[in-house]
Amino acid sequence: MQSKSSKWIGHGIYVLIMAMLIGAVYFSGKSINYNWHWDRLWPYVVNTEMQQIRANGDGTAVVKAGQLVIEFDDQSQSQVIDTYTTLLVGNGDLIFHGDTVAHLNAWQFGPIAHGLWMTVKISFISLIFAVLLGLIFGLMRVAKNQTARDLSLTYVELIRGTPLLVQIFIVYFFIGTVLDFDRFTAGVVALSVFTGAYVAEIVRAGIQAIPAGQMEAARSLGMTYPKAMRYIVLPQALKRTLPPLAGQFINLIKDSSLVSVISITDLTKAGREVVSGSFAPFEVWFTVAALYLLVTGTLSWAIQRLEKRLSASD
Amino acid sequence: MTSEYNGEDMVYANNVDKYYPNGCHALKAVSTTVKRGEVVVIIGPSGSGKSTFLRTLNQLEEISSGTIVVDGFDMYAKSTDINVLRQNVGMVFQSFNLFPHMTALENIQIAPLKVANRPKHEVEGEAKQLIKRVGLEDRMNNYPTHLSGGQQQRVAIARALAMKPDLMLFDEPTSALDPEMVGEVLDVIKSLAKEGMTMVIVTHEMGFAREVADRVLFMEEGKLLVDDDPKAVFDNPAHPRLQQFLAKVL
Repeated sequence: MQSKSSKWIGHGIYVLIMAMLIGAVYFSGKSINYNWHWDRLWPYVVNTEMQQIRANGDGTAVVKAGQLVIEFDDQSQSQVIDTYTTLLVGNGDLIFHGDTVAHLNAWQFGPIAHGLWMTVKISFISLIFAVLLGLIFGLMRVAKNQTARDLSLTYVELIRGTPLLVQIFIVYFFIGTVLDFDRFTAGVVALSVFTGAYVAEIVRAGIQAIPAGQMEAARSLGMTYPKAMRYIVLPQALKRTLPPLAGQFINLIKDSSLVSVISITDLTKAGREVVSGSFAPFEVWFTVAALYLLVTGTLSWAIQRLEKRLSASD
Repeated sequence: MTSEYNGEDMVYANNVDKYYPNGCHALKAVSTTVKRGEVVVIIGPSGSGKSTFLRTLNQLEEISSGTIVVDGFDMYAKSTDINVLRQNVGMVFQSFNLFPHMTALENIQIAPLKVANRPKHEVEGEAKQLIKRVGLEDRMNNYPTHLSGGQQQRVAIARALAMKPDLMLFDEPTSALDPEMVGEVLDVIKSLAKEGMTMVIVTHEMGFAREVADRVLFMEEGKLLVDDDPKAVFDNPAHPRLQQFLAKVL
């Protein structure tokens, strides 16, 4: 039993060490004469600056019912502007190509926010498919049917034995060409097939950890094998596999950064692009890291909640 | 004993042989019958094949050769759906095998709900009756980890009864229990016997066997050596192996 005071001393030492680490990062930043410009980064995340809306061609402004319509001289499709904060032109004004005709005060998500959204989207979709694949191949691994077991073993060994980066290239350039995948589909396929192999192993281990008596008791009540799996074995296995599954899902989110090699603009690729535009590499990469941490942290928090709920029967 | 199945008996086993994959000969030409309403107790030393034989009666163990008919189903006939047969045969295990992620009441309800697909309101009332019957109505919302061994085994009996089986199999139901909890479980089994439930019980409780059994089977090394009424078995054991066994356990 830890005494209360020693616990607080422990926390205090922790805070001290963390402060020293942060200080070390700060001073090493100083020592290389790096000028921190966090302000430069912000517009790449969310742009709050007033936007200028420009005319797409020469023509005449028509203002009616809150809309600005620019009728072009060459009779082409009129430009309609219905979201703006202030109009800079009046009815009947002559307008030339490139004129600022209105201002708009609205937030606009920058490339980093879009990248974050892409990372969340591709990870989430891949996670669902990975769980499905993992469940199917995990069940095949413990099935009576020898062919199913062989297939599952081959899948797991093949995928675990090759690097994800190589798999992404193979899926995109070979399978993607044959089946005509777009980048996003190729990314989802590569990530879910890769993670699915690990989930399959976790599922297999989870099922095998449930005592054989559970299956026997279920079967002795007249349950079919699928029903016994669904109502008796898998719910118990889920509880045991949640911690390793959480780790695998966090890996999936981090591994999703590799899809940037097939030009999917996820958080990592967005970071790379913003670095070349903002000349603030330290700020960008720290921000990107923090955003990954936010996503993975949210996920592990959600899984911990689920674990707590399932532990009611302990 | 090699006779034809008479079309009535609850259990008919003829020349049952069982080899394990490792070559172990677990059952050697076992033949017996259990009439409806009869309570048959199987005794014998560890490794004698008594649990194995019990488990062949709902096909938790497959046999290598021979015939088994349970409740009118020829177990290895193509037309027999083992899952239907098992619904008519309740089984109670040495290690209880309650489902730990369900409360006591849910354990009892799961088979009627998911196997028989019966409506929840009907099943719930019956399950509460059953849990009352085993004297645990105040523990029905407890998870198995919060029940004692004896209580868990009583829930397990109620769970097996929930499908209204014609035959109950007990595989050493008290062997994993602390001595002070053996009585409460045996009492439930005795009350079932009084109601005329057909039962096959593997046990080491000789006093209980003598009290509850209509017939006692003695097995050793996979062979069924003695099949007689309890008086003959316990008071005048004729078979020398049975004499030796009883001398050790009594």
